[in-house]
Amino acid sequence: MSGREIYLVGLSHKSAPIEVRERVALTGDLLKAALCALKGTDGVAEAVVVSTCNRVEVYVHADGIEPARCFFTSRAAEADGHLYAKIGVEAIRHLFRVAASLDSMVVGEQQILGQVKEAYGLASAAQSAGPYMSRLCNRAFATAKRVRSETDIGRGATSMSQVAVELVEKIFGDLKGRAILLVGAGKMGALSAKALAVLGADRILVTNRSPERGMALAEQVGGTFRAWEELPRLLVEADVVIVSTGAPTYVVTRELVQQAMKARRSRSMCLIDLAVPRNVDPACADLGEVFAYDVDDMEKVVQATQEARRGEALRAETIVEAEVMAFAKERDARAALPVLAQLRRHAEQIARAEAERTLSHLGPKLDEKGKKSVEAMAQAIVNKLLHGPTARLKAAASTGDGDLPGAAAELFGIENEPERPESAPAEPAESRAAASSERS
Amino acid sequence: MSIVILRIAAALYAVAAAAYIVFFSRPRHRRAATAGFWVLAAAFTVHAVAIGVGCSEFGGAEFFGLRGGLVLLVWLLTGAYLFLQRYYKLPTIGAFVTPLALVVLLPTLFGTPGHPGVAPATVRYPSVTLHILSAVGGVALFAIAFGVAIMYLLQEREVKGKRFGALFSRLPSLDALDQMIQRLVRAGFVVYTIALIAGTITATAVWNSAWSWDPQQVVSLAIWILYGAMVQLRHSGWHGRRYALMTLVGFVILLSSMVSLKIVPGVTRHAGDYGARVSEIAQ
Repeated sequence: MSGREIYLVGLSHKSAPIEVRERVALTGDLLKAALCALKGTDGVAEAVVVSTCNRVEVYVHADGIEPARCFFTSRAAEADGHLYAKIGVEAIRHLFRVAASLDSMVVGEQQILGQVKEAYGLASAAQSAGPYMSRLCNRAFATAKRVRSETDIGRGATSMSQVAVELVEKIFGDLKGRAILLVGAGKMGALSAKALAVLGADRILVTNRSPERGMALAEQVGGTFRAWEELPRLLVEADVVIVSTGAPTYVVTRELVQQAMKARRSRSMCLIDLAVPRNVDPACADLGEVFAYDVDDMEKVVQATQEARRGEALRAETIVEAEVMAFAKERDARAALPVLAQLRRHAEQIARAEAERTLSHLGPKLDEKGKKSVEAMAQAIVNKLLHGPTARLKAAASTGDGDLPGAAAELFGIENEPERPESAPAEPAESRAAASSERS
Repeated sequence: MSIVILRIAAALYAVAAAAYIVFFSRPRHRRAATAGFWVLAAAFTVHAVAIGVGCSEFGGAEFFGLRGGLVLLVWLLTGAYLFLQRYYKLPTIGAFVTPLALVVLLPTLFGTPGHPGVAPATVRYPSVTLHILSAVGGVALFAIAFGVAIMYLLQEREVKGKRFGALFSRLPSLDALDQMIQRLVRAGFVVYTIALIAGTITATAVWNSAWSWDPQQVVSLAIWILYGAMVQLRHSGWHGRRYALMTLVGFVILLSSMVSLKIVPGVTRHAGDYGARVSEIAQ
């Protein structure tokens, strides 16, 4: 068998602190240069580097693991203690799990697949990814897609602002023709208001005790500032009210909301209290058509999502495992085919040579018909002799038995040639186009 | 013959209901909702054939009674839902409406219906057909509103009670459900009004009096006023939980009074001989 294997060396949020990760992380042209350097290293056939804020991983199809390790140790000596290394099926499984977002900090988050696709696109642009990486990465993308469509791993809200969006969506559908009110200049409030922009609110109103900070915030979120004294009137105007002030008491009281609801003729209102200590009287929730939530409620949703995702992750793992096995089997089958071809070529060469030698002795005594039958006989012996091994090697290829091809090569004395790069230039470009169209 | 076709339709309703329920429990399977829609459309078509065959067998008289009324109700309910789904795309409603249709249809499937007799010539007016169709059609729309109101109350409990469970993620937004209830009540009221007008015309022709304190007439008028009030209240700002509860209660009153009027014999002239004897006596 080929001595080349797939190796992975990397570090992630699980193994290394941010100080180490940022020292080895690369983007853009620097990454391209690093890929070219890797590819230029002796014994490295192909290389892909996945570099995000949470992980840096080097995948190489090479004779040994050292070049991949060097990638890290040459950049930051202290990285050595944080590295993990995987070989063969282990490395394949790791890539599939990463792409399927099973190894992410927030399991099931959507960005990682795009980042892996980008990494592969960059590698094939730098011509460091060839046919092997093309097959591997495309299989990883397909696996991630399967996981996404067959499990609920991407469902639910994983941050406060996502929870706010989900809640508002279940109450109002969308926010067309409605207004959001930000009370106080807290950071969480601004984040939530920005997240709510996806629901297409008509207006964002901002109010704050100190007008300076309020105006700055209004500018930041693209809203209009209104004076603090207007709060009762603003509660009538706005449908979603996000409260995050530093006040130690209830800023939005039950009486205030009750009056507002009267003026609103009971049009629904959503109160989101992001402040600790709370700024919205919990008694507001008793009023009809008022939906009030505090930080604890939102946190519970985040936790529920994480729990649900853990369950879905188990289902995803079985999908990944099946895909890894299928890929490994195909890989071994591919390894068997070159051996078979070489065996045949080798045998036919011998047959041709022997036939020629015989014919050169007997040449003059034989007519055309006689020459033909000598050649045919040589060919027939080769065919008969190779019939059994061919069938068994093909069977081994289809069952994924990787030992037999190696044994055959050994037995027949066939030197293993490196994989021929015939399809190398065409394939990556094609799959890159597929990858980018998927993303859009 | 019509009963056999009706049973085929019922089987299709069951398949459609199953598909919608699968979609509801596994929202990832969008195809289940699409399949549900088309199977339901097939059920609707087969059901139409059953009604047509029934009409040619019994001259339409079976639709004067409770059994025929239910058959017609399910058909119109399905038609209304298919129409809604086409325009508003809320397939989750299917998981609530199709089982309801199936349950209502079930009692009509057992036993061969006795020949209801040919409708007396005195009530064979075109306005009778219109009266029956629009009355049942109005009830069908109120029935869907009832189903959507249940959805609203379930979702309101999730959203307000901070449960955020499976229902929370599967049911549409409160606003969408609220709008849907309003549309259905309003449309149902219009159709029901047509029924009352057609009924009045028929009564004048058959019974020589538009209003004869027949219990069915009294109940129908009460229900018309009830739903009329709901349409009016909506304009003065009623919505949300209160409105959903009202829709719920309104339909329970409607259904119980209509069914009991049909079950208790001799209470109303809207059953049996349709006052044919009365008009004979008058002659």
